[in-house]
Amino acid sequence: MKRLITILTLSLMALSMASEPSSVGKKMIQIKGSDTMVNIVQILAEKYMTLNPGAAIAVLGGGSGTGISALINRTCDIANHSREWKQKEIDLAWEKGIKPRFFIIAVDGLSIIVNEKNPIEKLTMEELGAIYRGEIKNWKAFGGPDKTISLYGRQSNSGTYVFIQEHVLGNKNYSPEMKEMNGNAQIIEGILQDEDGIGYVGVGYLFDRDGKIRKGIKVLNIAKDHNSPAFSPLDKEAVDRGDYPVARPLYQATNGKPSRDVADFIAFEIGPEGQKIVEREGFFTIGVKHREENEKNLK
Amino acid sequence: MNEEKTQKFKMIRIFAFFLLFIPCFAKAQQTFNTTIYFDYGMFLTKRGPLTSNPKSNYLAFRRAYFTYENKINDNLKFRFRYDADNTANITSIDFTKGLTKKDDKLRPFIKHLYFEYAGLLPNSNLRVGMTETIQYKIAEDRWGYRSVAKTLMDNYKDMTGVDVDAPSADLGISFNKNIAKQLRFTFMVSNGEGYSHAEKDKYKKFAANLHFIPIAGLSFVGYIDYEKQDAENSAMTYKVDGYMEMVRKLTIGAEYFIYKNDKNLTAEMERFDVLGFSIFSRYTVIEGSLSLFARFDLYEPNSSSKSDEMNLIIAGFDFSPWDKSMKIQPNIWYRAYADKAKKDDVIFNITFFLSF
Repeated sequence: MKRLITILTLSLMALSMASEPSSVGKKMIQIKGSDTMVNIVQILAEKYMTLNPGAAIAVLGGGSGTGISALINRTCDIANHSREWKQKEIDLAWEKGIKPRFFIIAVDGLSIIVNEKNPIEKLTMEELGAIYRGEIKNWKAFGGPDKTISLYGRQSNSGTYVFIQEHVLGNKNYSPEMKEMNGNAQIIEGILQDEDGIGYVGVGYLFDRDGKIRKGIKVLNIAKDHNSPAFSPLDKEAVDRGDYPVARPLYQATNGKPSRDVADFIAFEIGPEGQKIVEREGFFTIGVKHREENEKNLK
Repeated sequence: MNEEKTQKFKMIRIFAFFLLFIPCFAKAQQTFNTTIYFDYGMFLTKRGPLTSNPKSNYLAFRRAYFTYENKINDNLKFRFRYDADNTANITSIDFTKGLTKKDDKLRPFIKHLYFEYAGLLPNSNLRVGMTETIQYKIAEDRWGYRSVAKTLMDNYKDMTGVDVDAPSADLGISFNKNIAKQLRFTFMVSNGEGYSHAEKDKYKKFAANLHFIPIAGLSFVGYIDYEKQDAENSAMTYKVDGYMEMVRKLTIGAEYFIYKNDKNLTAEMERFDVLGFSIFSRYTVIEGSLSLFARFDLYEPNSSSKSDEMNLIIAGFDFSPWDKSMKIQPNIWYRAYADKAKKDDVIFNITFFLSF
């Protein structure tokens, strides 16, 4: 019996060590997911914490799939995702008693980039799909140099990878030749080093500290088809009108109605101050329709 | 000579087949994972069937898994898992004296070796090879403490002397499909021998489960399997599970099964059944670092006997003070027996769980 008492005492001592540091103040809001969104949400969180002393928010990347899994496994409060949920994720959430509510906090004009030395200026969606599926392998096919196209993309746990696969590749497989990079920054580095490279990155990653397009890269204009004009992802009006074909909403998801702390933060993100930051960081602000849906989901 | 040539040709074909796969593997996403459980155990009673052993406290490795997964493309995945335990370690046999030597080293064996293909039908997957069986995988996921104890059908098969034919992996084919978010099913055809033995007869085991989730977080699972044992005899398992995960941080689960095997006969040559019931719960106190768990099992290895029933209560907590890859899971087991001649067993374990 003495031994049991010793064990229980030691166990209780160990338990006391496990108490969360954040339990002293407000509960820390855990946000996880999309690498495309990690920077913008981090900046939003920092501003929010400055305006609301005592608020604590931790933002982690890992990819949209990682964030969605974390929400399903109840290890985060908000999942950042740059693609819609897959059916198997919706099914798993249902099984585990998770009822996701979705919020659109920004719109990303996904940019197709090449090295600035590449003479190509525009592509159609069909051409872009054929390049990434590995069906067209030489820049010559588009009037460019006689050089093999070098493909840069994301890893499959990235929402950007899935978005491009669904919307550009027609749900077909990527070419096995594609280099699967860990993040947007690595794709940009790859394109800077590779004159024959093509890559896709969130529009927010195109700019340097002065808010100018980074030196050494070129953003291609994209057309829906051969009969349509090509648009740049930097053309906000074209993105808003839906004319730029590689644009996507950036989502956050919560499990059911968000708690008060979480709802306050989301309200800040979709409010005027948050949207100013969204615009400043190179993303597009949300329209009236998305704002109304967000506000409905906050209640 | 001809036979030798044929053999050589076969080898070349197998080698060429693997060469074909190498470029796919080279481009694929590969992950490696290791999970280890070990215990510091203490007997808090001294006269039960388990605790009358001369040892009264010990450190023991129970399991070490090494898993390699290779996502070849969005639809195709390959998994290889080595498991290691020390349950069958005969190291040498002296035929002249009829003696065997045994040690307790952890030795690896193949637990999983399969391909998974997700593109056959929407929201489905097909597994081919040595793959997880479907009797209690859902229960094991909900219980979540395989490191502390196996689930009901898995836990007693080795200690009662009555085999319930419930291996956790087997060589065969399984197909899973989500029909709607409320309904999914799995079907499996396998050797029926499990991962420990090679197929010994021409009969295959057929298993199916139906998973119904009427409202988010509330699940019911029905399971049935059938395998012919020989020309006259067959075996069947019926199982029903229920799980509730609707309340934040709380999981409650229950399992009930009956195993019927025509070869399980009493001295009077009447068939007896094996049955069991288990209810368990876990509650997260601090997300990511502290959870509580408890379980109650009732196990009846022989339905015709009233003296062999046993009960088990397990309670403990799961504590990750530094990182979720290192968990300390102190737990206590209280085992009681219907047979009055058997004294209760009480064992305290500090289970260490490492995953990296």
